[in-house]
Amino acid sequence: MLKLEKIKKGFDKKTILDEISLDFREGEIVTILGPSGSGKTTILNIILGLIQADEGRILLRGEDVTDVPMEKRGFNIVFQDYGLFPHLNAYKNIVYGLKNNTGLCSVDEVNDLIKLLELEEHLDKRITELSGGQKQRVAFARTLVMKPQVLLLDEPLSALDGVIKESIKERIKQIAREFKLTTIIVTHDPEEALTLADRVLIINEGKVAAYATPEELIHTPQCDFVNQFILRQLEIKRQNIGQLFTNTPLLQVG
Amino acid sequence: MKGLKEKESNLIWLIMAFAAGVFLFYPLGKLLLKSFETAGGIGIGLYQEVLAGKKFLLVAGNSVGIAGVSALLTTILAFVCAYSLHFSNLPGSFKKIIKNLCVLPMLLPTITYGFAIIYSFGKQGVYTRLLGRQLFDIYGINGLIIGYIIYTFPIAFLLLTNTMAYIDKKFVLVSRVMGDKGIKTFYVAVFRPLLGTIVTAIIQCFFLSFTDFGIPASVGGKVKTIAGLLYEQMLGSVPDFGRGAVIAIMMLLPSVISILLIWQLEKTNICYNSIENSEIPKGAIRDGILGIMTTLIVSGIMLVLLVIFLIPFISGWPYDLTFTLKHFKNVFADTALTGVLRNSLYVSLATALFGTTISFFAALVATRSKVGKGKKNFLDILGNVTNTIPGMVIGIAYMLTFTGTRLQTTFTIIIICNTLHFFATPYMMMKNSFLKLNSGFEATGKIMGDSWFQSLYRIIIPNTVETIFSVLNYYFVNSMVTISGIVFLTGARTMVMTTKIKELQHFAKFSEIFVLSFLIFLINLTIKVIFKGVKKYEKVI
Repeated sequence: MLKLEKIKKGFDKKTILDEISLDFREGEIVTILGPSGSGKTTILNIILGLIQADEGRILLRGEDVTDVPMEKRGFNIVFQDYGLFPHLNAYKNIVYGLKNNTGLCSVDEVNDLIKLLELEEHLDKRITELSGGQKQRVAFARTLVMKPQVLLLDEPLSALDGVIKESIKERIKQIAREFKLTTIIVTHDPEEALTLADRVLIINEGKVAAYATPEELIHTPQCDFVNQFILRQLEIKRQNIGQLFTNTPLLQVG
Repeated sequence: MKGLKEKESNLIWLIMAFAAGVFLFYPLGKLLLKSFETAGGIGIGLYQEVLAGKKFLLVAGNSVGIAGVSALLTTILAFVCAYSLHFSNLPGSFKKIIKNLCVLPMLLPTITYGFAIIYSFGKQGVYTRLLGRQLFDIYGINGLIIGYIIYTFPIAFLLLTNTMAYIDKKFVLVSRVMGDKGIKTFYVAVFRPLLGTIVTAIIQCFFLSFTDFGIPASVGGKVKTIAGLLYEQMLGSVPDFGRGAVIAIMMLLPSVISILLIWQLEKTNICYNSIENSEIPKGAIRDGILGIMTTLIVSGIMLVLLVIFLIPFISGWPYDLTFTLKHFKNVFADTALTGVLRNSLYVSLATALFGTTISFFAALVATRSKVGKGKKNFLDILGNVTNTIPGMVIGIAYMLTFTGTRLQTTFTIIIICNTLHFFATPYMMMKNSFLKLNSGFEATGKIMGDSWFQSLYRIIIPNTVETIFSVLNYYFVNSMVTISGIVFLTGARTMVMTTKIKELQHFAKFSEIFVLSFLIFLINLTIKVIFKGVKKYEKVI
């Protein structure tokens, strides 16, 4: 559905992305995982159109959109810090884009979305009165109202606490399924990346280190970097949690 | 946010650069050139001539010395007041009153302070008569120092309270816990962290006093200052533009040094990011002493200013002490004076709108656009240059540049002069406000279909409206009280209240002077209250 061809990008003579080629399928969730400075956010911004690649092409359903400006690509993003407008209340933030695009979303559709994201009781609140998870949901709603072709999420879980994290994860999956929405998520947390995605893209030093399903990543060795930095982290976590639960029958939670 | 083309920002930058060229760099160049113009071509002849004269050195010495002493005294007094606000348990209502009174002098032109001093401590002054004798000779050094203190006190006070608010009050506790005693605690927890700001306050007060025109014009007497000399050279009975240009350039020198020093100091300032309100230890004696000292300082200043609110309502000081409104009636019956009032309001409103627009867009391009780094630096330099140049120097540069053009003595040139003269602070205020906004706002707006202009009025303006009001207020009040730059630029048709006061001084029409001063104060206070009210309202909705 979306294809990157030999994308190259550098800042101040330093190469950030080195001839990256990728494809994304309709309706799938892809997480982009990598250490800080690996270029993962740059990929997101290039897809969005916020920055221009030095070389290479971006194809959307076969059509070249490399030079199409950000606002005409029909993609949308939820920024890491949400970027909600503090002078507007939650509802006005959600319908912000409809002023410029009347008729894009009917009143019923907006209400359904609000219901889906459980925001009914928060609509009149100021942004400063919302909790982290609520802000996240408002930002989602504001973005989904625009009916994007591709949804981009920049570290969507990094500002949230433990329990909310899990529920937002479910929510993201639900939204992707319900709207058949191609979703690309940047994260630095291996656990998050592997439990959220249909496919995981691992970036290191501007190159693709691996691009596979979570199962493939775990079961078939990919490369040294993946084993060293990604799988080992998960293995340590697993051992720690395993130790915690030795001799304990499966807990009945929730 | 790179890679996006932004025609609008580049266009704004171009306009700014062009305006800066025409209204800042070209006039300054012209002034510089004038100072090097001699009968035999370009040379340093005029400089040699001016510097060789004993008069100039004496006057320069006066200016530096008196401004220096005043700066030191002002900073000490302001420190006491700021300290009792932040480090005592004096009642909140007392603190609030002090806080408001301390910045009150900012609403009046400096030339008024001089007349207020004459009418309070002069031979026929209010307090001289109450006490039965004159305390000291007010013309000359004493008058200048008192005037400069009143003028610069609010600025030193604001600088110090701002930094004190950011000092971690826990330092005091930590120092105590570590076993430090009184003075040592004060040094470690208060004085040392404040040192940068204290020195900045001294330099800033020095700079303002050194370049002020209004106070020496009214109360200087036989003691000449650089500002007075400059005025004489340009608008006196025997004007000499060449020598004037030389003196203007010489005046620039200490100003540039002051600003460079402040710049350096800002870099070394300790930055605390949290304002945490910590309990201040009990200390009844300390609070008592601070309360008394603060009250004395603030009432001293208020006593002088009180005259401004008294004299306009007295029939004929000091002979006829009955209450009257006839001075006000006279002023309002005099079309020349009501015209001046109208001019002042017009100039200040126009400067507020124009100046706010300019600083808004300059700061916007400098903080939230994709124009090149060099271009952004240019805007910052513009801010710093305008901060460095005294109003009188701009005024004289304009006089040399625009006399004979269609801009001479027009409102346009006065408004441009004010906008430039006061540009530095609004530019910084707007910049800080923009930097606090989430960097993704414009991109978010754009994806949602906003044009550049739409994201401006749908997102950026609503989120910085408070600062915009503060900038409007700043420009308005300063345009109302300024005299130094525009005294060289106003004409018969474009006379404003402050320059009219200077003219009325010639005819010793002091009732009118005080009525005009009183009106300036009233207008400024009204504007301030209105903006404060609007800001509060904005916060509620």
